[in-house]
Amino acid sequence: MKWKKLGKIFDPTQHRLPNECAQFAQSPQTLIFDDFVRIYFSTRAVDKANGKYLSHIAYVDMSKDFHNIIRVSEHTVIPLGDLGCFDEHGIFPINLVRHDEVIYAYTCGWNRRVSVSVDTAIGLAVSHDNGQTFQRLGNGPVLAASLHEPCLVGDGFVKIIGDIWHMWYIFGTGWKTYTPDTPPDRTYKIGHAVSNNGIEWTQEEEARQIISDRLGKDESQALPSVIEMDDRYLMTFCYRQSSDFRKNKDRGYRIGHAWSDDLNNWTRDDENPHLALIPDEWDTEMQCYPHVFKCDDKVYLLYNGNEFGRYGFGLAVLET
Amino acid sequence: MFKWQKLGKVFIPQEVQNRSWLKEFAQAPATLVFDNFVRVYFSCRPPADKQGQYVSYSAYVDLERSDLFKICQVSEEPILSLGNIGEFDEFGTYPVSVIRDGNLIRAYYAGWTRCESVPFNVAIGCAISNDQGKTFTKLGKGPIVSYSPDEPFVLSGPKIRQFNGLWYLWYIAGRKWKIIEGRAEPVYKIRMATSYDGINWSKLNKDLIESRIEEDEAQASPDVFFSNGKYHMFFCYRYSSHYRSRQNGYRIGYASSTNLVDWVRDDSKAGIDVSEQGWDAEMISYPHIFELDGKTYMAYLGDQVGRYGFGLAALEGTFD
Repeated sequence: MKWKKLGKIFDPTQHRLPNECAQFAQSPQTLIFDDFVRIYFSTRAVDKANGKYLSHIAYVDMSKDFHNIIRVSEHTVIPLGDLGCFDEHGIFPINLVRHDEVIYAYTCGWNRRVSVSVDTAIGLAVSHDNGQTFQRLGNGPVLAASLHEPCLVGDGFVKIIGDIWHMWYIFGTGWKTYTPDTPPDRTYKIGHAVSNNGIEWTQEEEARQIISDRLGKDESQALPSVIEMDDRYLMTFCYRQSSDFRKNKDRGYRIGHAWSDDLNNWTRDDENPHLALIPDEWDTEMQCYPHVFKCDDKVYLLYNGNEFGRYGFGLAVLET
Repeated sequence: MFKWQKLGKVFIPQEVQNRSWLKEFAQAPATLVFDNFVRVYFSCRPPADKQGQYVSYSAYVDLERSDLFKICQVSEEPILSLGNIGEFDEFGTYPVSVIRDGNLIRAYYAGWTRCESVPFNVAIGCAISNDQGKTFTKLGKGPIVSYSPDEPFVLSGPKIRQFNGLWYLWYIAGRKWKIIEGRAEPVYKIRMATSYDGINWSKLNKDLIESRIEEDEAQASPDVFFSNGKYHMFFCYRYSSHYRSRQNGYRIGYASSTNLVDWVRDDSKAGIDVSEQGWDAEMISYPHIFELDGKTYMAYLGDQVGRYGFGLAALEGTFD
């Protein structure tokens, strides 16, 4: 099996975006409609107070062959959180689940800290208008730091299998200062939680890392997404070194894979499917924030390239 | 109406020598009774740093059981270390509430971190002592009660109790941050959670005490005990703005319940108020009730929320 690259399909700098956002279309995630695919992503505005970034959610509707852009959202899809809330400074990413005529959105909310740059938690919002706008369940998160997952809970990806809601997500293991002249960097790993209603989540075992490390304990893993294929489950995610990963392409994000028969034990196999890494200009330095999904019986992978998706996202299709 | 006889200030942190971490404040007293002394846990601070920022530690003072105005000793070190970088309790462990659990002593404490848009956030941690409460080891690096949809931030002021074989935790949860003269001030309400093991908690998700003086009244220090067939709660409350004053500062309130869930507030019964002059003329707050040798006492804070120590009052008569 291998991913056949179809190239970059969306460049945010070529469109008018909501919330005064200009660049970045990060972590594309899909909601499939009968005759189009809505791809949500996180884009960025500049916080006038201090010049830092604020991440906002927007979407692009594309034809099901991904050749044509039908529309780009120009309205606020979900406002950022109130003062002091977990999602005050950004929502990135957002994961969409259809259930009972309602669309559930699992958000990763960002809030800035003082000794470290940020903390995150996972929120829940619902849409009653086919995903054009979302309303929060409350001002707080549905999954946040806990006794053994002390920081940076985020990147929730939810799938209902049978009667059980499964969530794959990431949890921080801690912050570390690697060199005296760089700010502290974080490490996170992929975990798993379950729920009966999509609202109250429990981990069978807190801080159980379900995907083995390839780069050692300072490997950070992010953006799990899962799809069922021939009675097995395929997870895509991205991974990198925890320090010096922004500009050093040898330490930056790559896309990883893992397989499971039982949703509990995962075998990491980054080369299956093989991401035919013939570097195009837009994804030579990094490949990150993958999202695997099915559309018209094909399996696709959306992902970001260089600079964490500053100039958009691309697509690959699975060939067996 | 209860009648409290004020006995005066018991402990003055400024009088303690040779402890760099204990210069001022003795906040949120909580007692543990031993054969010959009463151990009173409190929270204190070293001087503020160059930016005017405090960290807070928790410690104890042992009072002679036969004369609570005689100090036997003050802890040599804080009972808990501050958290590592990026952890929820990096900048403070305040306040603390203790309970015996067989030969162990459990402490539930609020951990403080610093945020960018608001000054702080708080969540509740747990630690265990096996040396009679002199030192405590945290159960994990993260909080045991964390943020949720209806309790988005500032989970603080835990008070741990056991009734009828069940663990109860009373605490406060932030409702909103208000900007008052350019400064973010939190509004919080009294909440409750229950547990079978003291570790996994189910939140009641309900305000226990109706607000009386204004909608944004802030409530704290829910101190519950059982006497004469019902449950009594003393707590403190203040206005949401300009509360560092006699006019709007903390006062002590009272509520009672027969089932621990439904509470009837009646502050007119509290029976204790600010003095005309002296150390508690501006505000009184953070009540803690304990029984000792047939008498009932209230430990509480005076002006500037305990900057200059805590005092005691004794109940005249009994609770009905």
